[in-house]
Amino acid sequence: MDVPLIATLTTFLAATIRMATPLTLAGLGETISEKSGVINIGVEAIMLSGAFFSFLTVFATGNHFLGLLAGMAGGAAVSMVHAVVSLRCKANQTIVGLALNFLILGLTSFLFLKSFGQTTILPSIAVIKPIQIPILSRIPILGQALFHQDIFVYLAIALVIGLSVFFYKTEWGVSLHAVGEHPRAADTAGLQVDTIRYLACLANGLLGGMGGAYLVLVKLGFFMENLTAGKGYIALVTVILGRRNPWGVMGAALVVGAAEALQIRLQTMGIPIPSQVFSMFPYVVTIVVLLFSIGKSSDPSALGVPYERDKR
Amino acid sequence: MPLLCMRNIDKAFFGKPANLQVCLEVQHNEIHALLGENGAGKTTLMNMLYGIYQRDAGEILYDGQNVAFSSPKDAIAHRIGMVHQHFTLVPTLTVSQNITLGLKSPGHPFPRRRDLNQQIQEISQRYSLEVDPTALVSTLSVGEQQRVEIIKLLYRDARLLILDEPTAVLTPQESESLFVVLRRLREEGHSVIIITHRIPEVMSITDTVTILRDGRNVATVKTSETSEQELARFMIGRALEPIGRSAAPPSCAGTALQLSEVTLVEHGRSKLGPVSLCVDPGKILGIAGVDGNGQKELAEVILGIRRHSAGSILLGDAVLDALGVMERKNLGIGYISDDRHHDSLVLDMDLMDNLLLKTHTEKRFITHGLLDRKKIRQDTARAVDAYHIKTSALECPIRYLSGGNQQKLILAREMAGQPRCIIAFQPTRGLDIGASEFVHQELLRLRDAGCAILMLSADLEEVLDLSDHIAVIHKGEIMDVLVNQDIDLTYIGLLMAGKRGDERGAVV
Repeated sequence: MDVPLIATLTTFLAATIRMATPLTLAGLGETISEKSGVINIGVEAIMLSGAFFSFLTVFATGNHFLGLLAGMAGGAAVSMVHAVVSLRCKANQTIVGLALNFLILGLTSFLFLKSFGQTTILPSIAVIKPIQIPILSRIPILGQALFHQDIFVYLAIALVIGLSVFFYKTEWGVSLHAVGEHPRAADTAGLQVDTIRYLACLANGLLGGMGGAYLVLVKLGFFMENLTAGKGYIALVTVILGRRNPWGVMGAALVVGAAEALQIRLQTMGIPIPSQVFSMFPYVVTIVVLLFSIGKSSDPSALGVPYERDKR
Repeated sequence: MPLLCMRNIDKAFFGKPANLQVCLEVQHNEIHALLGENGAGKTTLMNMLYGIYQRDAGEILYDGQNVAFSSPKDAIAHRIGMVHQHFTLVPTLTVSQNITLGLKSPGHPFPRRRDLNQQIQEISQRYSLEVDPTALVSTLSVGEQQRVEIIKLLYRDARLLILDEPTAVLTPQESESLFVVLRRLREEGHSVIIITHRIPEVMSITDTVTILRDGRNVATVKTSETSEQELARFMIGRALEPIGRSAAPPSCAGTALQLSEVTLVEHGRSKLGPVSLCVDPGKILGIAGVDGNGQKELAEVILGIRRHSAGSILLGDAVLDALGVMERKNLGIGYISDDRHHDSLVLDMDLMDNLLLKTHTEKRFITHGLLDRKKIRQDTARAVDAYHIKTSALECPIRYLSGGNQQKLILAREMAGQPRCIIAFQPTRGLDIGASEFVHQELLRLRDAGCAILMLSADLEEVLDLSDHIAVIHKGEIMDVLVNQDIDLTYIGLLMAGKRGDERGAVV
């Protein structure tokens, strides 16, 4: 193989992984939430809130770690609003999620404008640099793509492994599964259904917020209105495609990430086709892949249904 | 000192009292029956003990202590366990995972599954409750699931076990072996409360009976000092009337409903094995079987709600195979579903509209192309009269009627216009005895008028009382069809458990 091709391939793979990382993080969060029986389509809002607050914090303090924490807190705040309204007030979870998406879009845009005013040059921050892992990063093609990445990529992989153990090997995982499948069984077995669901929602917010923070702290270095631009919805798709299995979610995120990376490359190659056509590519891939997953639904039985012990 | 003492318990749902000043006393080492009709407040009372509902008033003394459980977790901590009528097992988890659900096992949070399975096996052998700890719950029969539920309680070291209608889903043989387990538990120092409305089983295994009616105490008696007749009187406030099934009228010519080699395959799985049945005019064919063995599929295939995959269904000379639900009903099929709220009624519509559901296309209700409200009202008033439906107004949403009155309205609708065939699927499910008797009388009246009736019921008593012929269904297949005369109950029980006649010698 000639050198330019190898280089292209490596950058393409590296880009795929970078695109997939925020989707994986947010997808894992949503997976935890859905396994407990709470469907939150407000992932977009969680990520946007995470992105905004991490940007604000890093802009003010210059500390990326604080920025990450602020992003996670921002995501958690959104998911906890969803949790309270849907678990305590028993509201329709889908509608609440939808409402949050629009609310946070408006709110972050408003707060951003309030904080920085109308500017032509976007305020920016320094981005987090990749970490070169010695030896492993010298593997041809894969080395640079896999082992010369930022900390979030490694964290996402660790989370995939950790959550697989959590879901399938621990009693906590069994409890989470029971709460989502048959809350009454969980309740009569002595589990606190709503407490477990709140915790799952919290995890969703923290991870989704982290996914949002990634966009600002690693990829872009700035914030703007509607920065997530539908990534939250794609994260929802990864959950369905990945069948709420951590490895599946990551795999789905990689497929969509590859489509995204490919469309950016195609746009810059000067092919005389409007760039919007390429922008559609990841979404076309999403729909095509969803088509192939017809009839294999494995939704938790109590997904979206609030638990009422006193119900007759 | 008694193990459990519940005093003057009150509980109301939406202002409607479910329990009024109810008292219950359970001794150590006893099997105590909580006897009463559907809706007498038995389950409500036990759910309060188990921490699922909170009582409005009254006190609970358990083991001499005044207790108030705010959740099942507290009840479990006090060694109380409850098996609900609708099992609380997670179908997608294994037996072992279900049994240890919510507990901190050694090695927490990484359970040593093999050790746990070993312990479960030990309990299972000690009480002869046979289960495979590694099996997925969704693959188990209801009888097996019940064993898992009981092991779940024993694994949690329950001293007081509450079983809600434990025999409702069992074959006679399974019930018998459950009773053996219960007696064993009593010997080992446990106390058991069984909620039931079946008097014979109260007589056969309990020590004491507390009878509830309309949410109030009626009596508490020693089983050894009472009789079935007395219990029936306590339970329904009068003596039970035997069902008067006269000899079948001379059969009219031909068959009314005929199924030949009907199969149903859904998602690649066979739901109905080839079923061949025929019901004559003026006869009741009762289908006995444990709930969930293809009864729903059979009923819905005949109605056309599900389309059968092969074979043929005839009503008289008409082939139904290609017809839709409405066309089949217009040919004279009536349907009483086992799930009134889901299949038969629109709960927020009033009596008139619900009665109109099947007949809204009929010319007699239509004037100038619009529904004629006046005629509909007259028709409904007639039905309310004829079927003794108790309601405050014809405009009352059907939701606010009792189950019995809702069922009567369904009968009025489905039995109107001299149907040729009625599919009665669990026609008395959830009804009190008075309403059940009414439904039975109506079915018999229709039979005597020459209607063919296919009755599917998980209640074997009901099938034996009403049917001229009895078929037993198991896993979607008809095991055998018998004439209802000097029936051998053991044989029926075996068929219900899926054991064919030719294996009989080997099994008994």
